[in-house]
Amino acid sequence: MMLAVESYPSDQKIFPYPIYQYKLANGLNVVTVPFDSPGLVSFYIVVRVGSRNEVESGVTGFAHFFEHMMFRGTDKYPREKYNEVLKMTGAGANANTSLDRTIYHMTGNVDYLEKMFELESDRFMNLHYPEHDFKVEAGAVKGEYTKNFASPFQQLYESLLNTAFDVHTYKHTTMGFFKDIVDMPNQYEYSLEFFNRYYRPEYSTIVVVGDITSEKVNALAEKYFSQWKRGDYSVQIPTEPEQKEKKSLHLQDGSIPPFMSMNYKGPAFSDTKIDMPAIDVLNTLLFSENSKLYKKLVIEEQKLRFLGGGAMNSRDPYLINVQASFIKKEDFQYVRDEITKAIEDIKMNGIDDKLLDETKSNLKYSFAMSIDDPDEIANSISSFIYLTGDPESLNRLYALYDKVTNEDIKMVATKYYVDSGLTIATISSDEKGGVE
Amino acid sequence: MKAIIISILLSGLIMSQQFVELKQTNSSKIIVKFMFKNGSICDPNGKEGITFTTAQLITQGGTGELSFGDIQDKIYPMAASYYSSVDKEVAIFTFQFHKDWIDQFYPIMIGLITNPSLSQTDFDRVKINQLAYVDQVIRASSDEEYSKKALEDFLFRGTNYQHMVEGKSVSVSSITLDDVKNHYKSFFTKNNLMIGIAGNYPDSFIEKLKKDIAKLPNTNPTIPTPPVVKMPDGIDIEIISKESAFGSAIFTGYPLNITRADDEFAALMVANSYLGEHRKSYSKLYQVIREQRSMNYGDYSYIEWYNNGGGNMLPPSGVPRQSNYFAIWIRPVQIAKQLKMQYEELKDVNVGHAHFAIRMALREMDKMIKNGLTQEDFEATRAFLKSYIRLYIKTPGQQLGYLMDSKMYGRKNYIEELGVLLSKLTLDDVNKAIKKYMQIDNMKITIVTDVSEAGPLAESLKNNTVSPMTYSNLVKAGLSEEILSEDAATENFKINVNNVTIVDSKDTFK
Repeated sequence: MMLAVESYPSDQKIFPYPIYQYKLANGLNVVTVPFDSPGLVSFYIVVRVGSRNEVESGVTGFAHFFEHMMFRGTDKYPREKYNEVLKMTGAGANANTSLDRTIYHMTGNVDYLEKMFELESDRFMNLHYPEHDFKVEAGAVKGEYTKNFASPFQQLYESLLNTAFDVHTYKHTTMGFFKDIVDMPNQYEYSLEFFNRYYRPEYSTIVVVGDITSEKVNALAEKYFSQWKRGDYSVQIPTEPEQKEKKSLHLQDGSIPPFMSMNYKGPAFSDTKIDMPAIDVLNTLLFSENSKLYKKLVIEEQKLRFLGGGAMNSRDPYLINVQASFIKKEDFQYVRDEITKAIEDIKMNGIDDKLLDETKSNLKYSFAMSIDDPDEIANSISSFIYLTGDPESLNRLYALYDKVTNEDIKMVATKYYVDSGLTIATISSDEKGGVE
Repeated sequence: MKAIIISILLSGLIMSQQFVELKQTNSSKIIVKFMFKNGSICDPNGKEGITFTTAQLITQGGTGELSFGDIQDKIYPMAASYYSSVDKEVAIFTFQFHKDWIDQFYPIMIGLITNPSLSQTDFDRVKINQLAYVDQVIRASSDEEYSKKALEDFLFRGTNYQHMVEGKSVSVSSITLDDVKNHYKSFFTKNNLMIGIAGNYPDSFIEKLKKDIAKLPNTNPTIPTPPVVKMPDGIDIEIISKESAFGSAIFTGYPLNITRADDEFAALMVANSYLGEHRKSYSKLYQVIREQRSMNYGDYSYIEWYNNGGGNMLPPSGVPRQSNYFAIWIRPVQIAKQLKMQYEELKDVNVGHAHFAIRMALREMDKMIKNGLTQEDFEATRAFLKSYIRLYIKTPGQQLGYLMDSKMYGRKNYIEELGVLLSKLTLDDVNKAIKKYMQIDNMKITIVTDVSEAGPLAESLKNNTVSPMTYSNLVKAGLSEEILSEDAATENFKINVNNVTIVDSKDTFK
């Protein structure tokens, strides 16, 4: 049997496969990762547009709505024909939208890779839908909102963003405000503008992972995407002013167990600054199932049903989120104080060096075990492409984890985990949350 | 490359543990699955949910040597993970770890399975979470998941398939730690266990596992028989009325006397994929309800249980069932209260879109039953499935899971065999299977909706009232003749309603 290692080897790149990059003359980046998945390939297109780009009033949710419209056809492949050809490929295909990006993906038989290129290049360059289809599709978005909104957590999340942010477009969820969703059928002209602005090579990256070579992928990219014309639009996202005091919001709903989330304003993602990697390490050691807090509040005292925390990587400063599900709502303040005490202790005393090493090991083994099919790999590197445009950011981030010191942990705790940057959101049967 | 070895170890007089191996020398991780053939059908009357409690307590507790907290400390640098999943007929424990940590993780894994601590404090924690789920979470967090679980409660009423695997309020409340200890001894034994191992492990690992697993209880469990459910007579509908629902979430079902074990299942699979493949825009239900009319987010049909359809794009393994049913899932559609608020021109509507959506789904299915598939539809759908089923097993974990499930259905390798069966199919096979297994006159339907919608919707369904589709003026103006004429034929399509009842959300799963 193999000898055990104390932590993940630090002298190698976290991503175990070579990443090939190739840029077309129009600025479209093409990324290939050959992977041992016989006969199978994943084909992704990452467009760096998300709800962050929704700067005009009245059009929140539009990036997501537009993702729906991308399935409404072209002159060459009208909707029915597109469906027919996609069905023939037997691929699993879909798309999703988030704060900073929209991702279109297909996973299927490598023999159909050229057909996938052809279908995707056609709709990315020549999307053309009837105005009526546009109006009808808005109903499906409303249906999506309707299913999501059944969850009190979704309702709270919508209010949380609206409270935590004043001017930045992270103020609204990717679904958008309901009044804007209802109004979507009236925005046909804006949809044409939206396509014109963002569905351009300089906003997009192709990612292909699986049983394929980069030469083959690059040749297909040249054949199908070289005619795609660059755009010239750049969006001005409002800068969120520094939060000066604690905010709070509450949802009165006794239908689920009491819930609290604490949200600190965090930094934007960077693969060169230590802040975000240090925050990831800090969150992991504060809220994992072996953390002091988890053991005390969940296992020993049984005040909580669940405790977790983390920060989502985003292009602009977003939220560091701590979540707790309660047995009794009367414990809101106690748990809030315990979490604050744990953070204050780290600001003063730092953490145990062994725990720091173990946390780095945890982060790296978690990643190493998460990439065992082409779809997961494409998804992993796409999440760095939308942040910086470069898949190598993945390797750079994990190299930074190794450099995080006790001083860095104290620095980020002091800088970001402060009450003046905090928004507390609660759900309980009471009229008010009542957490100080 | 990936060699598949299936071996059966015989040890002892009557014990037969099955081992499924999937060695992958290019992988860095190891996955081990312990599948106990028990499931929620083994829950005694009055203790419904106890198989789930037992499985949860094993993964949320310690071993003879280590507390839950100790285990978390040890596995933290490894980022090893494990979880349990319980369905009607199985409980499965899945462990995943990196090959670098095989020696350190092994004793924890084997300790949890063969020597779980089953302590009172861990039990208290598990039970309070389970109670929160059955009392609150299932009713409050997703109306579509709620309607699906409520449909099972309705369709399997009076049988051992009726209760949710998590149990119900009164039964979970009554479960004690002693009950769980007894349940573990009776139903988590070496005599009803299948073990699957995938990834990069040495041969010695298997040998050690085979030896150590003998420490499990040696009881011979009596596993109840899954129910044979009578076909409903007509269409029975339960409307679950809750405060502040935003839409109407709909699930339908009727018993189906066929499973993956039957070769004919492949033919039915083609028919079902054509009608309502999960999360695919190529299928009829999706096209008429979502794509052409945008009444909701999606509409699909099923010929076997599909776990967590809201979260999964591909069917997960680990839910083998002998008692099967056909289902249609209509995701939440608009209710009258919302339509009135959204559009001035709809201020007079009394019923939202649920009645029309049900009619549209059943009418579409009826068309398929009457007309069958064309040769072209058949070829296209079969070609799709032949490639698509390969995606079910794109990860090592899913490959292993599907191999283990195969054995539960008396098959060696379901996905491989399905590929062969699909290749052999003819159009005639598919159309015969449709006639044999598909019908729209007898079924149960559950609808989770708002209190304001429940009454008018019940009346509309009971009386087969004409239910015209209500569009906003903006959309209405552009509707084609074809859509309008289909709408006209749908709005008074007669469905064979037998009974409609309204149930308060507080009174479900009693």
